[in-house]
Amino acid sequence: MLQAGSAVRGLCKAIRPSAPIVKAADKAMAAHALPATLVLSRSQSNKPVVADNRVEVFVDDIPVMVEPGTTVLQAAAMAGVEIPRFCYHERLSVAGNCRMCLVEVEKAAKPVAACAMPVMKGWRIKTNSEMTRKAREGVMEFLLINHPLDCPICDQGGECDLQDQSMAFGSDRTRFLDPKRAVEDKNLGPLVKTIMTRCIHCTRCVRFASEVAGVEDLGTTGRGNSMEIGTYVEKMLLSELSGNVIDLCPVGALTSKPYSFSARPWELRRTDSIDVFDALGSNITVNHRTGEVLRILPKTNEDINEEWLADKARFACDGLKRQRLVAPMVKDSKGDLRPCEWEDALIVAATALQEANGSVAAVAGGQADAEALTALRDLVYRLGGQHVCTEEVFPDNGSGTDLRSNYLLNSSIAGMEEADLVVFIGTNPRYVVLVLPCMSPTPGAWCWCCLVCHQPQHLGDSSATVEQLCAGTHAFSSKLAAAKRPMIIVGQALLGQSQGGVLYAKICQLANKLRGSVEPSWRVLNVLHRVASQVAALDLGYKAGVAAVRQQKPKVLFLLGADEGAITRSDLPADTTVIYQGSHGDAGAAMADIVLPGATYTEKTATYVNTEGRAQTTLAAITPPGYAREDWKIIRAISEVLLCVFNVVAHEEPMNVMLQSVGAARVDGSAVLRPALLQLEDYYMTDVVSRASPTMAKCIAAVKKEKSNRYHSK
Amino acid sequence: MALCRKILSLGSPMRQLVLSSERCLSVSTTHHIDNLNKKQVEPKGVEALNPVEKNLTITVEGLADITKLTGVPEEHIKPRRVLIKKPTKNAMQSGTNNLHKWVMTFDTKERWENPLMGWASTADPLSNLEVEFASKEDAIVFCEKNGWQWAVQEPPQKPPRAKSYADNFSWNKRTRRSTK
Repeated sequence: MLQAGSAVRGLCKAIRPSAPIVKAADKAMAAHALPATLVLSRSQSNKPVVADNRVEVFVDDIPVMVEPGTTVLQAAAMAGVEIPRFCYHERLSVAGNCRMCLVEVEKAAKPVAACAMPVMKGWRIKTNSEMTRKAREGVMEFLLINHPLDCPICDQGGECDLQDQSMAFGSDRTRFLDPKRAVEDKNLGPLVKTIMTRCIHCTRCVRFASEVAGVEDLGTTGRGNSMEIGTYVEKMLLSELSGNVIDLCPVGALTSKPYSFSARPWELRRTDSIDVFDALGSNITVNHRTGEVLRILPKTNEDINEEWLADKARFACDGLKRQRLVAPMVKDSKGDLRPCEWEDALIVAATALQEANGSVAAVAGGQADAEALTALRDLVYRLGGQHVCTEEVFPDNGSGTDLRSNYLLNSSIAGMEEADLVVFIGTNPRYVVLVLPCMSPTPGAWCWCCLVCHQPQHLGDSSATVEQLCAGTHAFSSKLAAAKRPMIIVGQALLGQSQGGVLYAKICQLANKLRGSVEPSWRVLNVLHRVASQVAALDLGYKAGVAAVRQQKPKVLFLLGADEGAITRSDLPADTTVIYQGSHGDAGAAMADIVLPGATYTEKTATYVNTEGRAQTTLAAITPPGYAREDWKIIRAISEVLLCVFNVVAHEEPMNVMLQSVGAARVDGSAVLRPALLQLEDYYMTDVVSRASPTMAKCIAAVKKEKSNRYHSK
Repeated sequence: MALCRKILSLGSPMRQLVLSSERCLSVSTTHHIDNLNKKQVEPKGVEALNPVEKNLTITVEGLADITKLTGVPEEHIKPRRVLIKKPTKNAMQSGTNNLHKWVMTFDTKERWENPLMGWASTADPLSNLEVEFASKEDAIVFCEKNGWQWAVQEPPQKPPRAKSYADNFSWNKRTRRSTK
């Protein structure tokens, strides 16, 4: 269990330089936030008495009201004027070292760096004056002293800030005719390619690594002309967020290794979509060309992933092309799977389902979409089957999954910023839901759960610790009770335990107890899921865990992308027909009698519900390969063969066993709560797509090799 | 489609269809204009118009359905879904100047490799259509007129962030930066 410090956050809030900036247009909102007394006086005098300490500045003669402490660059953005920049990034600390944002301020002797300079009352900022233009041109000339002119062979070409800004603000010639310096390339691992000669020393990568990813490995050495970005000794960038430095790099110094030399940005088609490698539902943009996904980039969503993306979501896309099921297959008399026509496969599948006489069950895997889940549930119920299950386990005692708040991240991902104390039980948020650690109230300075920065406290490894916490006898209990906005985040290592139900019930009780002392709208209990489909499946009435299927021993088992081996051949009678529908040839297809090729998330328009219960839709970027089809269409086709009338109201589960009062149950305190993903190498391959990805395989090999590096810090 | 573009370039306000008189003549018969169902100006030959009258416009009140005029086949009207959104910012760059407009994109249809040359092929004439709008309302009206089902994706909202260079040098442990 890990806990992020509360005092630190309090401190950070206290030193926040000023109240949040209020836009000029938000006057009404500002008034709304005033204390009651002030509002009262306003209504009496009929004159708005607004404690307005904002200052007026003029950007290119456009007046704009800003909070004191706002930087020139932010004020200009409010006025709709964009100032060129390289080192400034709004989610990182201010570096102020590229000087590209120099602008003229009237009556100031020299141009000021807009990203670092707070505005003063009445300043007249000129972003297009002669002095500003000359300053930018000069800075650009300096930046290009050592920058190689290799845009034609540079992967950043076409989406390069330096390229664009030198076209817009630079000069057509230089006065520096000395030979350009060259810098040795660094080896940062299999994901990030470095061409360090191109580096302009903006230090965005350094700041990202230390402030957001929590890895202090990157830094600068040397100064002046011999300054270099690097790790000083050769070291891999051991972070699961390392791909973001590629986005941040404003030039082509850090580019994507798997994507290198494969496409130009103007050739790509871009489709907005949702990531399904974890339960976070990060927003992404799928970049594709000629019907194949070439790369995946993050898309800004302030409530979920801000603008970061985890490495698996970003780089496992090459797994979408490998190990794919491209044609329906049916087992022949020798027991070998043979490719066949859709018609044959559908008839064989429908016949098996018909002959099962209601002894039908379904198991859904981690990347199944809500539409397919609905269609499959309806099909199974219609055939008289009782059990539709998910591979992931969730306790079913108490109200189980009947109440939605039992299995959601109730405080929401963005809401975590308000928490003053977070207890993780049975989960390692860093590798389960990767971007989660980056969520921070203000970039850089105090990302709450960059566990590295905040020196979290480790409370214990065993379920006994949970017991003590619930009983209030743990040394940490007093701190937990004193917290104003505590959050308890429960993960799979706890829920998947044999005693998970009892432990979970106890945590529920603890959360309820804590709720007494916090404000009514604050939710203490949160569940962090591992897989993208789980919340949708539970919403649709799927039962968590396959225990019921094992017990039932169905004649036909329908696996919808279930590849994690929750149920194997040995769990089933020999005469069970296994129908597997999914995108990749993995464990599920290996045990199947009938294989129906489905689509991956980049090939279908489908709904996924993330761990906080937010439904989002992927958009089809490309078409499924071969004869593969969208999943819900396959199930609909089967049901048509079965002459089922679809969309009938599914009859409900006959009963839901309600266990009462779990408080009396005893827990064996020796159970160990170890999250499954503890090491970085565990993280890269967790599902069919990433298991099929050569890039992810390279990552694991590299991380393992890095452990023998003598500079590797434990 | 050319007609639509023309209408669009005139910056048509909501619930008003403005057609240039020349276009009316070129697309044709009175029957079509009847279908537009509202006020109309009797079309004349272009040569008969004086320069002022050449700029004459027809204003149609109410939401018009121009699917009959455009000649777009039904398979590119009924099943097509349009997403109306502001362009997604490229995560690789920091500039935002191209994001201040609304665009519409169609759902993806099958693309394949041409067996002769290996080029990417598609049978979807709308996949390369990129129409820009000043506001989402304009885009919605355009979709309504053309009979496409649409959905609007709102752009991400940026919360205000306090930034301070001085934080780097604060004696507080958390904001003091060694990475400056």
